[in-house]
Amino acid sequence: MRVRDLVYETATALDSNRGRSLLTILGIVIGIAAVIAMTALIGGVKQSLVGELGLNQARLVQLYAWPGRTVTLDDLEALEELMPEYECLTASSFWSFEVKNETKKFDASVMGVLPSYQKVSGLKMAQGTFITDENEDKGDLVVVLDQNSVKQLYGDPNEEVVGKTVMINNGSYTIKGVTEATSALMASGGTVYVPYSTCATRLSGYWGVDDMMGLAREGANMETIADKTRDTLIDYFNISDDNAEDAVYVYTMQSVIDELNSTMASFELLMTAVASISLLVGGIGIMNMMLTNVTERIREIGLRKALGARSSDITMQFLLESICLCLVGGIIGILVGYFGSFALTGLAGGVFDVGGEGNTIVPAIDMKSVVMATGISVGIGVLFGYYPARRASKLDPVESLHYQ
Amino acid sequence: MAPVIEVRGVHRVYESAAGYVHALKNVSLTVEHGEFLCIMGPSGSGKSTLMNMLGCLDTPTSGTYLLEGVDVSTLNDDELAELRAMRLGFVFQSFNLLPRATVMRNVMLPLIYSDCPVSEREARAVKALQAVSLPVEYYDHRSNELSGGQMQRVAIARALVNDPAVILADEPTGNLDSATGEMVLKTFRRLCDEGKTIVLITHDPDVANVADRTVHIRDGKLLTDEQERALIAADPTTRSNT
Ligand SMILES: Nc1ncnc2c1ncn2[C@@H]1O[C@H](COP(=O)(O)OP(=O)(O)OP(=O)(O)O)[C@@H](O)[C@H]1O
Ligand SMILES: [Mg+2]
Repeated sequence: MRVRDLVYETATALDSNRGRSLLTILGIVIGIAAVIAMTALIGGVKQSLVGELGLNQARLVQLYAWPGRTVTLDDLEALEELMPEYECLTASSFWSFEVKNETKKFDASVMGVLPSYQKVSGLKMAQGTFITDENEDKGDLVVVLDQNSVKQLYGDPNEEVVGKTVMINNGSYTIKGVTEATSALMASGGTVYVPYSTCATRLSGYWGVDDMMGLAREGANMETIADKTRDTLIDYFNISDDNAEDAVYVYTMQSVIDELNSTMASFELLMTAVASISLLVGGIGIMNMMLTNVTERIREIGLRKALGARSSDITMQFLLESICLCLVGGIIGILVGYFGSFALTGLAGGVFDVGGEGNTIVPAIDMKSVVMATGISVGIGVLFGYYPARRASKLDPVESLHYQ
Repeated sequence: MAPVIEVRGVHRVYESAAGYVHALKNVSLTVEHGEFLCIMGPSGSGKSTLMNMLGCLDTPTSGTYLLEGVDVSTLNDDELAELRAMRLGFVFQSFNLLPRATVMRNVMLPLIYSDCPVSEREARAVKALQAVSLPVEYYDHRSNELSGGQMQRVAIARALVNDPAVILADEPTGNLDSATGEMVLKTFRRLCDEGKTIVLITHDPDVANVADRTVHIRDGKLLTDEQERALIAADPTTRSNT
């Protein structure tokens, strides 16, 4: 029997039983909907949290090593080669200088940063643009302020300042842009960013790197990356084992995310219980319907056997029928779950205390959970369809043909 | 060439709650290519039991059955299924068509279990339907929209479509009125004249007239025409067309 014949038989059989089939798959629909709603909501909560922390915080790794010599941009490049699991690595150096304009002045943290710093740190621009490759290459006298600095210099953090100039250490710097106030996690009294090369040549006279950050590739396991990074740093800088603890520093946002995950675990448990029970009930419903189906079609089964169907053909036919039933249930469940999760966002926002202040939770569904839900549906179809299908295939053709 | 059907000393014993039923007792039978054999016997004499055995739906308790020279008892279930798909055609008393499927789909049904390429299926179904002279306008009708005679002709077309070694028909006219029954019998006669081998079961002596040869079965035992006539001559109440 060919696949297309099987598909044809299945389609006709299900089509002729539409009403009953739809009722039967309700359990599967509810179960899968629960699974999907759960994952979509959890995804949404996570994303909303990431939104609050900055887009890339979850993938951010802070790393540094004290090898007993100056760490340079060459080291950064070499490390980038060694660790392809990072989308990019960036470096910065910290200094403190007085920054002033015509009327005001304040002591700012001055950071010499590479252009990639913005992408890695997830800094958002309130005005203008960040430091570019060209600025870095030419050592331009440009500066990016954060909103705290703007407030210090101009009184109002939202003042339009792009194009104006400020003085740092007797040099005149043109303001290229303003970054949004950093979150509470990175509290500061005013930070200004200048190109790394400008900082080294004009301000500090020192090319050494004070801090490094990496942006791991999407979907990477942060824990694995942190471990690997630690090993790579130890290897690269030839740090002795007994020094390793103190001389290497690797930190990810994983700990924050872990905390969130444990909160979600209880929610997950509840939804999993709902899902499992309805899937079990749904599966039994499917089995019941398939058994009824087999009984109703005993004569047809006998006929097919008389016409040359092998037992395996009959098994496949009925198995595929139950798989298709479950699959349809699964697909409807995915849709119901996804749209239903929008209705539940308010509730989830309350439970997890995120998404306040206009930052609403948007259910996020990923391909993985859709594939998983589909897999579960097929699995239920096989599990609960196998017994009826085997029963059909074992029927004696002579008796079946004369079954009334 | 081996005969299409060769049955030697076959017994079939049913075990039931009431005890053992000897449905076939030492039955031997040979059917040659192109032959139209009629098996006659009263109700309960073992006709269907014999037919199921010939159709590889059932296996003898003892004795051998050779289909086209192959000892059927040496085959496993899948090989028997393949034999049914490729070498046997069935016609049943109650038609046994799929009611919701079209005539074409019904006729093509055995082909999905055979190795017939998908592209050839329709052509073969049309050829089979032409052979039973069903008008073209019915090909796309659902089979439950047909009359009994039309249904049985569709069923015969279905039995023909695999070009089987033998067509087995168990009381194919049993559910039809005499006029339609006659038409169906003519169809069988014509197929036989075109070279098909046919084994037909009936308890109607008129039906037996269209066959080349008739054997009688009584209480599971086969009798030749002469033996049967002798029996009836001795006791006319035992005629088989009860
Ligand atoms: N599955 C079975 N179990 C037990 N006994 C059976 C079974 N099938 C048939 N028999 C018995 O075997 C004998 C022959 O039955 P069979 O069906 O072959 O008769 P038949 O000649 O086809 O009769 P009819 O003309 O009524 O169809 C009967 O006595 C019947 O009761
Ligand atoms: Mg019978």
